[in-house]
Amino acid sequence: MLSWVALIVVLMIAGSFFASQQRARGVAQGDLAALHSRPAYHGAYTALWVAIAGFGVLVLGLLLSNIAIRSALFAAIPDSLGPLSQIERDLIVSDGVAIASGEVASRSDAAREAVGARYGTLMMVRNVGLALLTLGAAAFAYMRSSAQISLPFRARNRTEKIVQVLLMVSAAIAILTTIGIVASLLGQTLAFFSDIPITKFLFGTLWSPLSGVHSGSMDPDKVGAIPLFAGTLLITFIAMLVAVPVGLFAAIFLSDFASQRARSIIKPMLEILAGIPTVVYGFFAAITVAPFLRDTGAAVGLTISSESALAAGIVMGIMIIPFISSLSDDVINAVPQSLRDGSYGLGATKAETIRKVILPAALPGIVSAVLLGVSRAIGETMIVVMAAGQGANLTANPFEAVTTVTVQIVALITGDTEAATAAGPAFTLGFTLFCVTLIFNVIALRLVRKYQESYD
Amino acid sequence: MTESNPPLPRAKFQCRGVNVHYATTHAIKDNDIDIYDKSVTSFIGPSGCGKSTFLRCLNRMNDTIEICRVTGDIRLDDVDIYGSDIDPVQLRARVGMVFQKPNPFPKSIFDNVAYGPRIHGLAENRADLDAMVESSLRSAGLWDEVKDRLSSSGTGLSGGQQQRLCIARAIATQPEVLLMDEPCSALDPIATEIVEELISSLGETYCVVIVTHSMQQANRISERTAFFHLGELVEYETTHNIFNTPKDDRTIGYVSGRFG
Ligand SMILES: Nc1ncnc2c1ncn2[C@@H]1O[C@H](COP(=O)(O)OP(=O)(O)O)[C@@H](O)[C@H]1O
Ligand SMILES: [Mg+2]
Repeated sequence: MLSWVALIVVLMIAGSFFASQQRARGVAQGDLAALHSRPAYHGAYTALWVAIAGFGVLVLGLLLSNIAIRSALFAAIPDSLGPLSQIERDLIVSDGVAIASGEVASRSDAAREAVGARYGTLMMVRNVGLALLTLGAAAFAYMRSSAQISLPFRARNRTEKIVQVLLMVSAAIAILTTIGIVASLLGQTLAFFSDIPITKFLFGTLWSPLSGVHSGSMDPDKVGAIPLFAGTLLITFIAMLVAVPVGLFAAIFLSDFASQRARSIIKPMLEILAGIPTVVYGFFAAITVAPFLRDTGAAVGLTISSESALAAGIVMGIMIIPFISSLSDDVINAVPQSLRDGSYGLGATKAETIRKVILPAALPGIVSAVLLGVSRAIGETMIVVMAAGQGANLTANPFEAVTTVTVQIVALITGDTEAATAAGPAFTLGFTLFCVTLIFNVIALRLVRKYQESYD
Repeated sequence: MTESNPPLPRAKFQCRGVNVHYATTHAIKDNDIDIYDKSVTSFIGPSGCGKSTFLRCLNRMNDTIEICRVTGDIRLDDVDIYGSDIDPVQLRARVGMVFQKPNPFPKSIFDNVAYGPRIHGLAENRADLDAMVESSLRSAGLWDEVKDRLSSSGTGLSGGQQQRLCIARAIATQPEVLLMDEPCSALDPIATEIVEELISSLGETYCVVIVTHSMQQANRISERTAFFHLGELVEYETTHNIFNTPKDDRTIGYVSGRFG
């Protein structure tokens, strides 16, 4: 029913646009120049108000009434059932709703029937009330704003003002979401650290947070995240060992050696590489690269386990190549041609020019590309989940399985331990990850900005 | 040749039948010119007439432009510089170039000047290199202004100083020829005057070729002037004759300010 109301509001918006436009024309009596604002602005002004009033009331009404109905349903649970746990109460309410909407409930009894009946009437009242309220608000908005139409009325300025406010609201939503996420991460992290000393988390070398939680609380000696940090660092290091030289050389080739034609083919190909979903890289690592490394290792007498830091690192490096090459290509291209000319004009070869002029000039940009690559590597999840292993080994041997921060977050959240218990360490790891990548990104962006300033 | 001509030194560059094409643009059309040593030669003409293009033929900088094709015969000291045995990189060490916009490297003043000597291995040791940097900066008239801050960045200098730094950088490579493409067009009048004096004095030791859009500048600093129009070398004479007794109608029109 309310979707019909929404549709009617849309029609009203369109209708009020044309009606007000028409009305403005009428007011002008043929002399459009006499109007302060063109008729379309009068139409837009009215339509915007109708939209804001209609949808504002509808959305707000839905939000508030849902909250109200929910608490009314809890109140409708007969007291005769005695004290109930929150989970049982939740279950009764959701069963009641299911009964009222004709769906399958887990159980049917008098209490549930009562809740269901209450839900039916409340919804009925809510829908009719909200429909009337919405349409009324839209109509009222139309009448008020179209009554304002006159020759000197500044519909354009007001429309622009409204649009400006709407843009600001959109920006605010993005910012508030970010703040909300960070705040909840921070809150959970602080809660976790109120149980577990932060030093145990940061410097402990044993990671097995869920072992023994069944018997009671978490053992502070088993939440040492060092093995995860070490695993993350090891894999990131291997990945950068692959990605930085290959990506940088590819960028140098693209910007200073490739012909226009070659460039126009290679650049899109690199971008395709960047578009491959990481889950594809992940099973490529697990199914192709890891067994290959293991067999090759066996052939030369090395023991490489079938899940290894090496396999994950190499594939992650391949994933990051296009990232580094495309960013570096941009900064190398941004080095002014005049510097190249200056160097060639002094009798420098291409290699000398690249080594002594272009790379030093582009260095801040290249460093920032590498930092952004590092922060991607640290946050990358799919590849390591599939190819790096689960065991929290503390080792620097790339041939062994290691685990990373992201892998452990996945394990905690998707594991069958109760969410509330697993959330503590998971959120804390997530917050740590967030802080580290944030620092890398900020440094990288600063470097880029400084670099751009130096070449206008 | 009239009596007022200075005595002819030997021709440093002998160019015959030079044509340059950019893809489909015919930028230089069958030009012959002799450019003399130990003097300043100006290229003038309306913009787009091919002055820069011709200048870049003389040190094969056009090689760095993918779509550019140069044909004809250009000899430096009687050797064909487009010959198969010529390495353009070595040629450019002999024929230095200064560009329109000052383009110091984002390095220290010292490293800017030492760039050429270093890549060509001209200095035996550090003291040698120091001496080269100092003498180049002195020749460019910049030594007194920068001697106390050789390690600060070359890009931090004023426009005029940057351009003199670029000239010092070119001199440090110990070239025989200096090509300058509108070296003063990005400078203010005072810096221009300083650089012009510098160019005049460089003309006593080097073969200097300068592209300029300012006829007064050509008049002030050069012995000979070549007037280009639409890719053609219309007239090439002593500067005095070009500005006082031009022969071609197009030259007359240009030097009297009727077009360009
Ligand atoms: N890199 C280039 N690519 C294509 N065409 C060019 C290039 N450089 C110059 N030209 C063309 O060659 C002609 C001569 O240019 P240029 O030598 O720069 O003239 P000037 O220096 O006298 O102003 C112009 O028509 C110009 O458009
Ligand atoms: Mg030019």
